[in-house]
Amino acid sequence: MIQKLDSKIPDGPLENKWRNYQIKSRLINPTNKKKLNIIVVGSGLAGAGAAATLAELGYDVQCFCYQDSARRAHSVAAQGGINAAKNYQHDGDSIWRMFYDTLKGGDFRSREANVYRLAELSSPLIDHYVQQGVPFAREYGGVLVNRSFGGVQVQRTFYARGQTGQQLLVAAYSQLYKMKRAKKVTIFARHELLDIVRIDGKAKGIITRDLVNGKLKRFAADAVVLATGGYSRVFRLSTLAIGCNCTAIWKAFKRGAFFAAPSFTQIHPTALPQTSAAQSKLTLMSESLRNDGRIWVPKRKDEPRAPNEIPEKERDYYLERRYPSFGNLAPRDIASRAAKERIDKGYGVGRLKNAVYLDFKHAIERFGIDTIQDRYGNLFKMYKKITGVDAYKEPMQISPAAHFSMGGLWVDYELMTSLPGLYAIGECNFSDHGANRLGANSLLQASIDGYFILPNTINNYLVNILEEQQPTIEHPEFEKVESEVKKHIDRLLTINGSKTVDHFHRELGKVMWQECAMSRNKKGLESAISSIEEIREAFWTDVKITGSAQEMNPELEKALRLADFLELGLLMCTDALQREESCGAHFREEYQTKEGEALRRDDTYSYVSAWEYNKGNFELHKEALTFEHVQPAVRNYK
Amino acid sequence: MIALTGLFLCIFLIVHLSANSILLLPEETARRLYNSYATTLRESPLIKVVSYVLYLSIVLHMMYALRITLANRKAKPQPYLVNKSNENSSWTSQNMGFIGLLILLFLIVHLANFWARIKLGIGDTVGLDASGQKDVYEITYHLFQNIYFVLFYTILMIPLGLHLNHGLKSAFKTLGFYHRKGLRIVAKISLVYALIMAIGFGIIPLIVFLK
Amino acid sequence: MKVTFKIWRQAHSDAKGEFKPYEVNGLTEDMSFLEALDHLNEHLVRSNEKVIAYEYDCREGICGQCGLFINGRAHGPHPHMTTCQLHMRSFKNGDTIIVEPWRAKAFPVIKDLIVDRSAFDRIIEQGGFISAQTGTAAEANSILIGKKVADKAMDAAACIGCGACVATCKNASAALFTSAKINHLNSLPQGHQEANKRAIEMTAQMELEGFGSCTFTGACEVECPERIPITNIAEMNARRTKAKWMG
Repeated sequence: MIQKLDSKIPDGPLENKWRNYQIKSRLINPTNKKKLNIIVVGSGLAGAGAAATLAELGYDVQCFCYQDSARRAHSVAAQGGINAAKNYQHDGDSIWRMFYDTLKGGDFRSREANVYRLAELSSPLIDHYVQQGVPFAREYGGVLVNRSFGGVQVQRTFYARGQTGQQLLVAAYSQLYKMKRAKKVTIFARHELLDIVRIDGKAKGIITRDLVNGKLKRFAADAVVLATGGYSRVFRLSTLAIGCNCTAIWKAFKRGAFFAAPSFTQIHPTALPQTSAAQSKLTLMSESLRNDGRIWVPKRKDEPRAPNEIPEKERDYYLERRYPSFGNLAPRDIASRAAKERIDKGYGVGRLKNAVYLDFKHAIERFGIDTIQDRYGNLFKMYKKITGVDAYKEPMQISPAAHFSMGGLWVDYELMTSLPGLYAIGECNFSDHGANRLGANSLLQASIDGYFILPNTINNYLVNILEEQQPTIEHPEFEKVESEVKKHIDRLLTINGSKTVDHFHRELGKVMWQECAMSRNKKGLESAISSIEEIREAFWTDVKITGSAQEMNPELEKALRLADFLELGLLMCTDALQREESCGAHFREEYQTKEGEALRRDDTYSYVSAWEYNKGNFELHKEALTFEHVQPAVRNYK
Repeated sequence: MIALTGLFLCIFLIVHLSANSILLLPEETARRLYNSYATTLRESPLIKVVSYVLYLSIVLHMMYALRITLANRKAKPQPYLVNKSNENSSWTSQNMGFIGLLILLFLIVHLANFWARIKLGIGDTVGLDASGQKDVYEITYHLFQNIYFVLFYTILMIPLGLHLNHGLKSAFKTLGFYHRKGLRIVAKISLVYALIMAIGFGIIPLIVFLK
Repeated sequence: MKVTFKIWRQAHSDAKGEFKPYEVNGLTEDMSFLEALDHLNEHLVRSNEKVIAYEYDCREGICGQCGLFINGRAHGPHPHMTTCQLHMRSFKNGDTIIVEPWRAKAFPVIKDLIVDRSAFDRIIEQGGFISAQTGTAAEANSILIGKKVADKAMDAAACIGCGACVATCKNASAALFTSAKINHLNSLPQGHQEANKRAIEMTAQMELEGFGSCTFTGACEVECPERIPITNIAEMNARRTKAKWMG
């Protein structure tokens, strides 16, 4: 068991680990690279970045995405920015500080070496994106601009208006097409992974469904890279794209890859509140708004007055009150929980009393409307489009929403899962963010995994299989897995029950949001597990899907994704139940201080939970987290 | 090519209108000046070259317009059941081809009225004026005593104006002029130019008729 | 709220399509337009009918995957908006709403309201990138780019590739899309090296894909969710002409 969880951290002092790794890693000569075939599933920053870079290195790459184009991947929606320890602002930033902020932000539930590497590679990443033509914000003199972001006190965030993710993704996507033109990458859009083929204990290929005609297809490769993003759609209402799903990593899990810290889900504090039951999505308003906006609720419960009529002294700026030194820039988990605390106590605002105010009045008075417009213009426009309200005149209403999955497939320092030959990069792995991710670190992690790390680690595996005979898609295992997939689909289609897929998804979402989101407790989690079992049971006996498998069938796609979410929900609750402490986004009500802050229990829970799938059961493995270079401290943002 | 020929035709129209405004002068002066202008046009070798460029421009403008319209139709084989293009663009810009056809219709009549008679000598012989020049003034004057021709000449200046307004400013963009403020000025110039041309050409037959 | 949708149904790319009416009850003004269609689809499932296929992903106006022609306008009745940002409050109780797929030869219908926009990807493939390998970048601040230049590049780079410009254009021209990408890269110092090649090859691919040519109706810039101005097309024309003369 211990063997399985070898994190392969290289020797040497923290600062030298990555360099030491690269010096020692094995190389493959260009002629051999040509013969090696790599599958990349997902085309976001991690996937497209990896596919393009691997192709540049000479590998033969096939890249898959379920969307109509690689440019749609959900990296596109990240608004705020990307962090880098450039210290351009001369405000005391450094790789070490960024490393420490990220580790601390994650509440000391991630690996020192991984986090250090993240901070170390952040600086060349900005160079890289500038070279690719990303129009980052600039000063009049031509140098790059930075802003600060939730949870840190330096300005290290680079941004391109409120569309940083989109600009980075377009850069990655264009590099992908550059390599397609060079005939080194084949792109399969509208293809969804439905299973992973494992031969002799190694990942050797995938089964996909062509979403246009429903055909199942087999693809063999020397290595499979998953870059399939987060799974917060398990809550149904989240900030994620509707198509985001856990199917790829869930199938990987079932084929032997461990799933780490599945319950670590970030709830973002600044999304737009839910307004109706039919809602399909919670729109995120960039966290950067918290730089200039002040968050408050009325001091009176069930306040009937409009926000602008409530005088200053009757407003409770609760983040500034509770966390005077970080104030409105407190990390996401803390800001979300503080909002939940106020809303639960009856101070919420808005139609469903489920929101808090984010007010720009003071910022507009201080900097002028033009500056605010320049900084957040498109966000204000977006707010108006969705709500019909002018946020220059009236505070925004915001509310917490499920956002980022810190959890994901367990990976070692090389980003390989516990299934040899299977890699997980970007949000779908668990590596750098611990129990909570800092703002503007997700674009960073996805990019670095794809552009810088994987292309330098995958060779260490591939060099060993050069001599092996590569199985083709005629191999019986491909046959077997494909027929399993086909059976799974047929089973869904023959149920012909009475309720829609969305009905069950709403049910699942309700349970997950109630019991496995911002605050959790033993009783709730236990009841959630049995509720989810019931929903799952009902789903498999009473779901109704029209149309066939041999055509484009959006309803079938949804059902296939939900079938996996229903199982993932169980694992998430199981994981949350097992961790009897509060850390980062994981807040167990039983474990809090007198002031209501998280109570971490380093003596017992300083490990990464890694779950193994065993015939329907989940078995826990623990990767102990040792801190050689920093002393885990209590997170204090007061 | 459409833009280049279009721009050339726009310049031609300025000359044409300046000359036509001679018709607004008192009769005797007008007849003299107009006829001698017409004679110069027929006899100057330089003008001869220009006139061939003009014919060529008209033909090319039409040919390219036809080609581009057909190609664009092919690019959009199926129309929408409902298309509220008037909410996002001007009617003119959506119907340049049709407007162009109206102008072509005008051009055919116009050429038959003048060019065919004077240059090709088709139809009644053209009389001479006091100084022995072909009396083009008389033809013009005579034509515009007919109310139907007057209405035809006046009303068809509306599509001309529309066509010129959209055509002129678009020609600049097609040719790659992309300065934002500059384009706003171009749009204004186009409007003024189109108005002058449409009103100018449109009003002359009316005035001649009423003289 | 109750409305009647009149929706284009087409089983697959080679099938003949037709409009079908669907009366939908129980909508609220707060619902987004796509949520109203979701609602209709759930109803269709319950009545044992095949669901309507339409595209979406992020539902926050940035991924560019959604795109419907609604009541005669690309992305619905408002300018500068994606379909997913349209809400039912823009319609009245009892309205009939006509929903059509994007129409263009270069965007063939795949099913119902879904079209194939891969022509855009192929235009990008012909130079919508900077040819620089990972690992070759110089220090970011060694390239100085004035705020004005960076802002203008960003204005063009904002394109989400939704295809509304093609959909609304009577010529199905992709000039706004193509010009936005060319101008984004060509106006930055990083993109100078390949500027001429890019301008020529991307525009050539645009023509090859069967898009029509621009006649400056201006409809595209009105429907563009990212407000990309039509002056980009003029700029592209200039860049292409320059590229042709300079080789």
